Amino acid sequence: MRAVATARGTATALWSRVWGGRPPGGWLSSFGVLIGLVMVLPVWYVVWRSAFAGAERWLRLLDDRVPSLLWSTLSLAGAVTVLAAIAGTLLAILVHRTDLPGRRVWRWLFAVPLAIPPYVGAMAYIVVFGPRGWLMRWTGSTPLDMYSFAGALFVLTVFTYPYVYLVVGAAISRLGGTHEEAARSLGLGPVAALRRVTVPMLRPAIGAGAILVALYVLSDFGAVAMVRYTTFTSAIYYQMGGFDTASAMVLSVVLIALTLIVLFAEGVTRRRMRVTGHTTSRPAEAFSLGRWKGLALALSAIVGAISVAVPVAVLAYWSWIGAGLGAFDDRFWRFAFNTLQVAGLAALLSMVAALPVVYLRSRHPSVVSSLIEKLAYAGYALPGVIVAVGLIAFGVRHVPLLYGTAGMLALAYVVRFAPQAMQSAGASLALVSPKVDEAARIQGLSPGGVLARVIVPLTLPGTLAGGALVFVSAIKELPATLLLRPIGFDTLAVRVWVESSEAVYHLAAPPALLIVAMSVLPLKLLLDRFGKD
Amino acid sequence: MADIELRDVTKIYPGASTPAVDSLSLSVDHGHIVTLLGPSGCGKTTTLRLVAGFERPDAGSVLIGGAVVAGPGAWVPPERRDIGMVFQEHALFPHLDVAGNVGFNLPKNDRSARVDEVLDLVGLTGFERRMPHEISGGQQQRVALARALARRPVVVLFDEPFASLDADLRVSMRAELRRILKAAGTTAVFVSHDQSDALAISDTIVVMRDGRIEQVGTPREVYQFPHTRFVADFVGRTNLFEGRIGTDGRSVETEIGSASCRHTHSLPPGTPVVVSVRADSLELDAEGPIVGRVKETTYTGRAIDAVVEVERADGTTRDVMVHAHPEQVVVCGDIVRFRVLPDFVAVIEE
Repeated sequence: MRAVATARGTATALWSRVWGGRPPGGWLSSFGVLIGLVMVLPVWYVVWRSAFAGAERWLRLLDDRVPSLLWSTLSLAGAVTVLAAIAGTLLAILVHRTDLPGRRVWRWLFAVPLAIPPYVGAMAYIVVFGPRGWLMRWTGSTPLDMYSFAGALFVLTVFTYPYVYLVVGAAISRLGGTHEEAARSLGLGPVAALRRVTVPMLRPAIGAGAILVALYVLSDFGAVAMVRYTTFTSAIYYQMGGFDTASAMVLSVVLIALTLIVLFAEGVTRRRMRVTGHTTSRPAEAFSLGRWKGLALALSAIVGAISVAVPVAVLAYWSWIGAGLGAFDDRFWRFAFNTLQVAGLAALLSMVAALPVVYLRSRHPSVVSSLIEKLAYAGYALPGVIVAVGLIAFGVRHVPLLYGTAGMLALAYVVRFAPQAMQSAGASLALVSPKVDEAARIQGLSPGGVLARVIVPLTLPGTLAGGALVFVSAIKELPATLLLRPIGFDTLAVRVWVESSEAVYHLAAPPALLIVAMSVLPLKLLLDRFGKD
Repeated sequence: MADIELRDVTKIYPGASTPAVDSLSLSVDHGHIVTLLGPSGCGKTTTLRLVAGFERPDAGSVLIGGAVVAGPGAWVPPERRDIGMVFQEHALFPHLDVAGNVGFNLPKNDRSARVDEVLDLVGLTGFERRMPHEISGGQQQRVALARALARRPVVVLFDEPFASLDADLRVSMRAELRRILKAAGTTAVFVSHDQSDALAISDTIVVMRDGRIEQVGTPREVYQFPHTRFVADFVGRTNLFEGRIGTDGRSVETEIGSASCRHTHSLPPGTPVVVSVRADSLELDAEGPIVGRVKETTYTGRAIDAVVEVERADGTTRDVMVHAHPEQVVVCGDIVRFRVLPDFVAVIEE
């Protein structure tokens, strides 16, 4: 009896020590741990089950499929990353540091491609450049073979450069002009100062943006599948389609390893250089483009046309044709309703899941809370197809009741995208001093009361903004949706995929246009977030 | 010879209704340390940036080393002005180590020798391979100074260099900076809003307000004999009394009695004036001619700041700030006597 009591006392003391002497309440910590476990479950399950795939299958795949997939995936990721980094950095400098006419409009326009899912962009450019596309019909030839490496490179670069553009743009604004002025006072001309001081100082931002692009390319399924270019994600998807879950899991493990390497590289670049923000810095002086103004404007117009105007025009054209043919029928609105339902549920669950995670991280920092947060990011960092594989395998074996329901799909979205809500809610919570909590306690509120009456109201705007981001991501999501949707439960994204693979563009364009329209709305939220961090 | 000269320089920022710098003329002699002192928005930073070449004057001209660098038809960009600058928060290049920062854009042939030399001057020998984020705030400041001095500029400009340092460090850095500048024989212009920094480091203080110069003088002159209410108030706190020049011409008859004054601008007896009497110039003295009741006391360690209520001749009362020696015991409600010492009494030109 005594021994049990002592053991319990020791455990309590240890638990308290883990939390730095201020352990959170039992409900809160249990809920937090539960969320962390659920979020990591699909990924963990893939890794664990892959061990049962059999040595023979592992060897066959490693010998046969993996080398060629590694080459096709890495060459594409590398090429897209380099091109996107160059384009994004150039455009960011052009918009933030020169007297380019119409900067305010360009600044916004260059970010708009983020609202166009790459698979929608791929569909639009198949309409333009494809073997039976517009250019072929009008001119008899096409400058770009869409169903090739070049096609995948083109589409992914055009729709991912904004990652670099936004991160570098934010870094330029934060940098201000002081370092360049220091270089000027040390005898450098304006262009030399930009080259020798500003660009090196932007290197971490360029690297961070490039890593986002690389991670995206590793995770992309829709665009590469539409241009029939095989990477790990599409290979995994087609293994699942052939009911070869074990092989899909083996390939997933390799892709997880690849992603982890890229994430590790990010950690290294992040640590290497610390650029301290200058609170009093004044904005840097804009360069006069002079006689290059015409060229810069032409370049901006071309980028705007390729990344926004052409795809939107294609979608609008085919939607208009579709409208004439009755594409906006009851079925269409049912798909839209399905989408709203499942994405809305995912957004709601994500907001609920975000609160305890960010609260523990901010107010009870410890090994446990940072572990919970890391686990929660697992599904966000890894490709959606892996989350889907894990959930399917787990669902079939262990929770057949949930498998094949819309709830399962919403859960996949939560695992994939809840970290977006966590980032937003966390940023709001960071603005609320822990002293406010303490003040509320002194005024007589219990810890739960503080959470309900102080923390939740104060972080609500950030949490809602995060929920909106989750909502839009869920609307656009393709691979997990295709694999996990209940039979007959089509969403807008699914319709785009099904109809465009049959080249029925008048039925594919309306849902695609609706997706793009809904994605533009929270773009401002996204821009603000890039501006802040 | 003046290393820096500003002639009737005016700067109006686009969209602003009043000039940031308003036909300002100033010259800084070789080897001098000058501080532009004033509250935020007084135009001191703009003046510094006009000298550096980061702003263009709308009127007037700027000369450095006798050559016009900005003015009608003349423009020399910052990189060719032969200036060094130490920025607020230092603006060290985070991607370069200490030697890389100090040797930035120095000619290759004597780069390493010059880097060694200036690092020795600022006492940072041995820190060459450290990155900026690996050294302390005071060390960053020294690197910024070394970098500014490395190219042997005619003049070094300092934009609020002490603002980012904590209180202890800034006191020691002031003395250190002055020693280094004097050792290097460099002309220096500081911008500061802190009077104690300005008093400690400068040969000459230029007090600015609304884009104009209020007073130019040595730290002693500016503190002891402020010319205007603004200077009297901004550079240390003071008591302002209305009164008339006394019959002897060397005292002022004020509302609380007569105060001897060495700084009357030779105004004729009877002229109505305002006189500034620093709290340091009021000494508690049991025999003193002025009587008052202590209203408030603040013990600062170096002194006791007391507010004393004094009765005027007409029966009304006013508050006077008095410094007492920290050893004395001053309690609220006490009736005290004090007298006016002549040292910190100055007639203000109205």
